[in-house]
Amino acid sequence: MNIWLELALTLVVMLVVVLTASLVTIYVELKAGSHMQARIGPYYAGGRWGWAQPLADGAKFLQKEDLAPAKADRPVYRLAPFVVMMSALGIFAVIPLGPDLVGAKLDLGVYFLLAISSFSALGVLMAGWSSANKYSLIGGLRAAAQLIAYEIPLILAVVAVVIQAGTMSLIGIVDAQQATLFTLGGIEVALPFILTGQLVSFFIFMIAAVAELSRIPFDMPIAESELTMGYLTEYTGIRFTMFFLGEYATVVGFSAIAATLYLGGYGAPFLPESMANVAGPAILLLKVSALVFVIIWIRFTWPRLREDQLQSMAWRWLIPISLINIAVIAVFKVAF
Amino acid sequence: MTSRQLMHRSEVAVSVELETPGMTLNIGPQHPSTHGVLRLVAKISGERIHEIEPVIGYMHRGYEKLSEVRTYAQITALVNRIDWVAGFANEVPFILGVEKLVGVEAPERAQWIRLILTELARISSHLVFMCSFPLELGASTPLMHMLRDREHILELIEDVTGGRFHPNFNRVGGVKPAYGGGSKTKKQSMDLPAGFFKRTLKAMDLMDQTCEDIDTLVTGNELVRARTIGIGVIPAEKAIEYGMSGPNLRASGVAYDLRKVDNYLPYDQIDFDVVTRTGGDSFDRYLVRVGEIRESVKIIRQAVDIIPAGPLQAKVPRVLKVPEGQVYSRAENPKGEFGYYIVSEGGKMPYRLKIRSTSFSNLSILPWILVGQLIPDLVAIMGSLDFVLGDVDR
Amino acid sequence: MSDQPDAPAEPDTTPLADYAADITERLGAERYTVEFDTARVFVAKDKWVDTINEARGELPFFSWLSAIDWSRETEVGEGVADPDKLEERFEVMCRLSSVTDDKAIIFFATLPKDDATIGSLTATIGGAEWHEREAHEMFGIMFEGNENLVPLYLPDDFIGNPLLKSYPLIAREVKPWPGEVDVEGLPVGDDEGSDDEEGEA
Repeated sequence: MNIWLELALTLVVMLVVVLTASLVTIYVELKAGSHMQARIGPYYAGGRWGWAQPLADGAKFLQKEDLAPAKADRPVYRLAPFVVMMSALGIFAVIPLGPDLVGAKLDLGVYFLLAISSFSALGVLMAGWSSANKYSLIGGLRAAAQLIAYEIPLILAVVAVVIQAGTMSLIGIVDAQQATLFTLGGIEVALPFILTGQLVSFFIFMIAAVAELSRIPFDMPIAESELTMGYLTEYTGIRFTMFFLGEYATVVGFSAIAATLYLGGYGAPFLPESMANVAGPAILLLKVSALVFVIIWIRFTWPRLREDQLQSMAWRWLIPISLINIAVIAVFKVAF
Repeated sequence: MTSRQLMHRSEVAVSVELETPGMTLNIGPQHPSTHGVLRLVAKISGERIHEIEPVIGYMHRGYEKLSEVRTYAQITALVNRIDWVAGFANEVPFILGVEKLVGVEAPERAQWIRLILTELARISSHLVFMCSFPLELGASTPLMHMLRDREHILELIEDVTGGRFHPNFNRVGGVKPAYGGGSKTKKQSMDLPAGFFKRTLKAMDLMDQTCEDIDTLVTGNELVRARTIGIGVIPAEKAIEYGMSGPNLRASGVAYDLRKVDNYLPYDQIDFDVVTRTGGDSFDRYLVRVGEIRESVKIIRQAVDIIPAGPLQAKVPRVLKVPEGQVYSRAENPKGEFGYYIVSEGGKMPYRLKIRSTSFSNLSILPWILVGQLIPDLVAIMGSLDFVLGDVDR
Repeated sequence: MSDQPDAPAEPDTTPLADYAADITERLGAERYTVEFDTARVFVAKDKWVDTINEARGELPFFSWLSAIDWSRETEVGEGVADPDKLEERFEVMCRLSSVTDDKAIIFFATLPKDDATIGSLTATIGGAEWHEREAHEMFGIMFEGNENLVPLYLPDDFIGNPLLKSYPLIAREVKPWPGEVDVEGLPVGDDEGSDDEEGEA
């Protein structure tokens, strides 16, 4: 096939998938959150269950005037949402939906993921600084401090997986979780990493991911009761929508990473090789949905931490624990 | 394009340079955690507050002046708009004061109805606190649950008074007839609506469940504890010096509850405890309120049991002229001591009405308590003080 | 006139009256009245700060501070009962109460209209600051020693002291209030048999 056609096709499919997933996540958050809060939530939009509410919200935002504060640093202010959105979309380039269903087969897929996902910190900092608003500035700086602090446990948690799998390719990691561990009564048993020693790093990864996402209980960069909306305060219309969609795309993205690294990705037990490309996306979707739901659930259960508590949690707990975890995994890896 | 924007950038750089020792952050008057229109001018470095100046008055409605041109009966309509989440509780001290001046006493049944409604207002006000306090900490779920449960209380208040927030139910010498017909209709129809006590008891059972919900949702939550324990400690002597009252004072270990101390409404016939804590921090202020909801439920259950039958209105002249005199009348509002100093010169209107509103005194401690705190703690402390801007500005 | 009666409105037998008499003597105040469960102790203007600081030893709770404008003529409301006998003055009042029982005293000091100045309590009572600022902007009373007497409620460019009796209520001037017409009449006893509200209102 023509390489340009292939590229275009991949891009279109990816965009559609990611945007749909984000919209569905927004809808689930609206609806599930409502039920957790003794409300009904969206009800009329779309005729039934308010399914079109995210679309209606999006359409409304598109019509809004795209304002920039008079003293804003305009080029930076305008660019910031794109940086965040790019980082969110970039994650999906390497997530394998099946053995062959992947945007880019990178041998260093994990490395690319970590690099591209931490890119959003830059966009947030740009937004916070360029808005010429003190709340935005505080929010942006909080975000920068937070994203840097939680990047480290995130990476360390992933390193543990890389050590166990012996590869940095995401497909390789999924394959490693499909490998037969032992045979029980004639059945070959393969287990995802979460059950074979990566439980601790899974939890560290999820905590760090929620912090990277700036979601409750780590939403100090936005903290509407303290900083009105943090770095988002001045954004309106389409640019706000991009931040908003970017956030939910990243929620899906991080859930997909976690599902791939710890829950066996597109693989499932007893799935024949030939079906992997067909059933793979559905299997991954199931795992991703479960994780997304957990992230939403957390949001409606907890209040937010304070900035210093968040930092001490990262430096005093998560990082030491993940270092110990790496050592233990490495020892086991060498021993067996 | 570039020259203009470069200038902008340099300006930003210069002003930041100059302000580094103390950036001024204007919190409010439109800010999510200022409950309306409070404005705080904070000098911060990093997130630490060095100096803070509360600016109030954005909702000053001049009630003390307006009262001078209104008859006593009209003023009750005014004063239940002061602390609007507990409208009924504002009317009671005023009407008790006027009754003292006039020399009438409301019949027993009317007193008990006032007591029950005051306690309902207390529960409703504390439930609003249970909404807003976790929300300031970032938890949005308690808000919805507590608002839902408050509806049961508001429905009861509405059933009796016709208004959810502004009952305007007290009359000199009694309470307003529940059904609009006034004295033309029969005596029975002037009483509480049918089945009111049954529904009240049912609502009280629901409130027990609500308290359980609060405990599971908020009290036991580790992050709430991490955010509030030891934050914003107000020692008892400071609280007394600043005239803080109500749950805020009791959280600092001072068992000062006007329902026990003063002799008003038949609280002396009821067995209830004054909830106190000793820590004086935000979490204790929260716990005192949870305890007070439980106590109010207890009070209402007993009151429903005791309330005697009888008339609702004592005899007062049709055109009420209040004899000369000065009286200070206070009552335990959900937020603390709420009082009126009424100066009567023998006319139909007061010569001077000083309104001692609770939140005003409770908030006056802000410049003292907020210095040295972080911005997230500012929000937690302000939330725990439970103020209503109408009650601050009057 | 309310606070000039020859004797207190009620006989001095209640515990509150005994207490008021006692504290008046101990603090060296001028006189006291007790009526309607409200005890008022009058102190000289120059002893205001000292008296209140001393009283706080037994009545620690600072409840509020405010003022009254006694004025013969009034732009609003009904005015005093007997304008001819009235001595025009301000009265500053400060209420202290106990935090263990119902003991409470409202301290009064009289200020002449042409020299409405009194000492500030802010040195020892932090909570007095806002109350003094309020009294300052509403009545124009100066509190010596309170450095921060900027308006509390009103805009910075507001002229006048709204709670003075000479200050008109502009809204009322522009559009007269219909008064009692629009409210229901005060209820009367039920035993009157046929009452006809419309007829009497």
